[in-house]
Amino acid sequence: MSIIETQDLTHIFPDGTVGIEQINLKINAGEFVIIAGANGSGKTVFARHLNGLLTPTKGQVLLDGQPITKNLIEARKKVGLVFQDPDRQFVGQTVAEEVAFGPENLNLPPAQVDSIVKASLALVGLSRFSHQSPRVLSGGLKRKLAIAGVLAMKPQIIILDEPFTGLDYPGVVQILQQILRLHAAGHTILLITHELEKVLAHAGRLVIFYQGRLVADGRPEAVVHGVERYGVRMPLRKGEEVKELSWLK
Amino acid sequence: MAEMTLFRYLHRDTVLHRMDGRLKLGSMLLLSVSASLAGALRHYLVLFCLLCIALRVAKLPWAALLKELKFFALIIWVVLSINATTIPGDPIPNLPLPGVTVQGVITGLRFAGRLINIILICVVTTGTTPLRTLRHVIEWCLRPLPFVPEVRIATMIQLTFALIPVLFIEFAEMSRAQKARCLEVRKNPIKRMYYTVLPFLEQTLHRTDQIVEAMEARGYSEIRTKAAFKSKTSDWLIFTLCLFVFLVIVFTKRG
Ligand SMILES: Nc1ncnc2c1ncn2[C@@H]1O[C@H](COP(=O)(O)OP(=O)(O)OP(=O)(O)O)[C@@H](O)[C@H]1O
Ligand SMILES: [Mg+2]
Repeated sequence: MSIIETQDLTHIFPDGTVGIEQINLKINAGEFVIIAGANGSGKTVFARHLNGLLTPTKGQVLLDGQPITKNLIEARKKVGLVFQDPDRQFVGQTVAEEVAFGPENLNLPPAQVDSIVKASLALVGLSRFSHQSPRVLSGGLKRKLAIAGVLAMKPQIIILDEPFTGLDYPGVVQILQQILRLHAAGHTILLITHELEKVLAHAGRLVIFYQGRLVADGRPEAVVHGVERYGVRMPLRKGEEVKELSWLK
Repeated sequence: MAEMTLFRYLHRDTVLHRMDGRLKLGSMLLLSVSASLAGALRHYLVLFCLLCIALRVAKLPWAALLKELKFFALIIWVVLSINATTIPGDPIPNLPLPGVTVQGVITGLRFAGRLINIILICVVTTGTTPLRTLRHVIEWCLRPLPFVPEVRIATMIQLTFALIPVLFIEFAEMSRAQKARCLEVRKNPIKRMYYTVLPFLEQTLHRTDQIVEAMEARGYSEIRTKAAFKSKTSDWLIFTLCLFVFLVIVFTKRG
């Protein structure tokens, strides 16, 4: 059984804009899936349905075979969403507070919250900054903090919405290593990006969105050749292979 | 605003930072009441010395704070001069300043003493207490009251405090962006408001929505971890000292 599945997922905004239309996607536990698509193709809207932040106009999302609307808190615990803009995700005044927010919502005892916060910050290498304000961190550190805040809830599925935007080369490499470590540790990874050249080598599956619809889904080698039609830059140069598409050397 | 130190939490490892939030806020409340009740100059001096020691102990940055307090110094100076010249009374002996009265100067000084002490109390409290602790203390105080949704109130207060600096930064950023496009050239104040105040209001609503969304994404729940408060002997000592000062000021008020 797939860990997460969408059936005919459709979202039409009150102003009539079609966000996504008829999306059917099944993801198995432990997969590493990349979702790519041009600006406005519905990637973020789709991600927001997977942990119940948006309610579908039509269709549904199943988590372990159960509609997520049955238990939203459980869904948000299982599906961690790292926002496209980390500033929008921060609710705490200090780095440690920010990470503690999730576990506190789960009503864990204070001592356990503390140890989770320490462990999550250590995992992304932010322990030194625990008393700083999240807003004064650099772009790369902000992204790491956003990931730590999600990790603290111990989600099975982690969705990262454009995690490389605005990062310099070392920043991309560090975030990429982090994602691969999480995948190796057994998390199911859903990575939204249009910069395929940075990560495609590591993914087992590539899904393409175009104007709110899912238009391609399969092994990266099979899907990648047609991406340009859908507004995504073709990452392969002449003679290059998919397994070379990574910023990790 | 992002660089401001006044009224912001500054992390240090000191007795005051580690102090039990309930006792700390209790102590500060006692000192605030003392400052408002105090009548004699020596009362203000006692409070002032106590708070200076607190600033020192908390290792808060003097110089930066003093610089940011300039605004309050101006208020004090204005009030002092108004009081000194408008309140009727006897002229100051051996100091022929026309219009300045002894009673006026004393009233002005009293106001200044009160204001300085209250500001210092706020500086020490906010400088040593993270917002989360403040929130936990509010929750703890409201918990015994029936029909009061203490978690919701505490969340609202925390969010308000968290939102204010963010909005300040954004407002500054927005007006810079508009200056860069020569908004000053427009003379019509209504038009200028239209391009500054309206976007700001819209931004505020938008920001609030975003924070609510961020909280929801991580499963915000009102049944949440309760703070564990631990009070140490040193915390009680500080509290007792403040209580003592408070009692002394109350009982020597008339004297
Ligand atoms: N709140 C909203 N109201 C109306 N339309 C919206 C809203 N949010 C998104 N949309 C529309 O839904 C469509 C999909 O947007 P979405 O944010 O999912 O795109 P995206 O693929 O994430 O793009 P990007 O690469 O720029 O992040 C767009 O046409 C967008 O204008
Ligand atoms: Mg997006």
